Amino acid sequence: MTTNAFGSVLETLTRQRGVRASLIVSETDGLIVDATLRVGQDGDRVAALAASLFRKARLSAAAARLGDVAFMQMDAEQGRICAVGGKSDLVLMVVAEPTANVGLIRVELLKALETLA
Amino acid sequence: MIIATVEGWVEAPLARYVEEARARLALLLHPSGQVVAQAGFTRSTDVMTACALAAAVHATSKELGRQVDGSGFRVLHHGGTDKQLHLAAVDLGRVAYICLTVFDEESSLGLVRMYFGDLCRELAAAAPEQPAKGPSLGLDFERELNHNLSALFGRA
Amino acid sequence: MSLVNYSTREITCKIVYYGPGRSGKTTNLHYIYGQVPEDRKGKMVSLATQTDRTLFFDFLPLDLGSISGFTTKFQLYTVPGQIYYQTTRKLVLQGADGVVFVADSQSRQLAENVESFQDLHENLAEQGIDARTVPLVIQYNKQDLPSELILGKQDLSDALNFRGVPEFSADALHGPGVFETLRSISELVLKRLSSGAGK
Repeated sequence: MTTNAFGSVLETLTRQRGVRASLIVSETDGLIVDATLRVGQDGDRVAALAASLFRKARLSAAAARLGDVAFMQMDAEQGRICAVGGKSDLVLMVVAEPTANVGLIRVELLKALETLA
Repeated sequence: MIIATVEGWVEAPLARYVEEARARLALLLHPSGQVVAQAGFTRSTDVMTACALAAAVHATSKELGRQVDGSGFRVLHHGGTDKQLHLAAVDLGRVAYICLTVFDEESSLGLVRMYFGDLCRELAAAAPEQPAKGPSLGLDFERELNHNLSALFGRA
Repeated sequence: MSLVNYSTREITCKIVYYGPGRSGKTTNLHYIYGQVPEDRKGKMVSLATQTDRTLFFDFLPLDLGSISGFTTKFQLYTVPGQIYYQTTRKLVLQGADGVVFVADSQSRQLAENVESFQDLHENLAEQGIDARTVPLVIQYNKQDLPSELILGKQDLSDALNFRGVPEFSADALHGPGVFETLRSISELVLKRLSSGAGK
């Protein structure tokens, strides 16, 4: 997949109401492949930690024999992080406001994941 | 002769770094290859040898960077099958170290890089203005050295 | 540079074996490694080519035991002697507390010895170090070869030892002179450390 394609995926996600940032991250390395961030956002930090969290979620689900992680959502006081991952090493994640429509974000993430596959 | 005193203030930040980054071990070394501090599963590695090699790798990478880029490379990452290495300079102004981090699937390069940045900031904040001066060594070394060397070479 | 850890009471010093190619620097370390008990040495690392020429360095950590209550460790390094490894020699020489110059006693190697000795001084100067302040010992290796092939100790001393530093004849392959050289450089380094520490 080309970087242009990554860009268009991120653009679609960031256009959703309440989404503050969207990232494509390598799950193994925790490094950003591509991202749309606002000024002042520490994307590297978010990517590293969220990728680690997603990996742990995946391993936990496997240990509990629940299959692959379909969708990960972490709610915090001032927002949430949503992430999906597929068969490849790439994890798609968004940072969203508390009022963002999680259902819509989930749909868009899964749609975007299919494009990345 | 330059004598450096190993300063204890490096140990706590290094230990915290290993814990937070979930690294297997971290070695802080002097650019000449000598160990300054260590944290993590250090028993799994020949620390002195690792430091000597790390210093050599860092020195050659830096020199290569200077030849290629005009300025020395500061960070090196090796991806192994089970474990990975992160080798980077820690420049604290009056003193410069190298940090070798070994990590596996419990961590990631992104995490190590992130916490390494925190480590550098912590070390910079903790570093005292002037290096600690130790007491005079007062080595009564000649007799003991001769005895020890003779013992080493089986001539005691 | 010497590293002193007052809390763990450890001293670590770096000794570099310098000299022209094939003079016996690596042989010195191999001999030392072979003689020292297991609990007093670390792994010997040799970064060498397929034909056993030193490519980067050899490294041997030694535990000299307790000296005045300090666990004293010496890290022995060799440099690659071939001319085109100039940059590598500079890197390995950084932070050296003492130098053993291993000269090849063969008559045909005199020019290489002199060149290597000059190279050592130049590299130290580049690092801002006055070579006269660095503990130095000269070893005239291969003195076991037939006399018609080598220069005697005095001739070599006249050519190289203008500083009047300790000098030793040696046959590094079989051992004579190796221990004496190491003891001498150890003494010089520790003497310097003892007088320099705490200042």
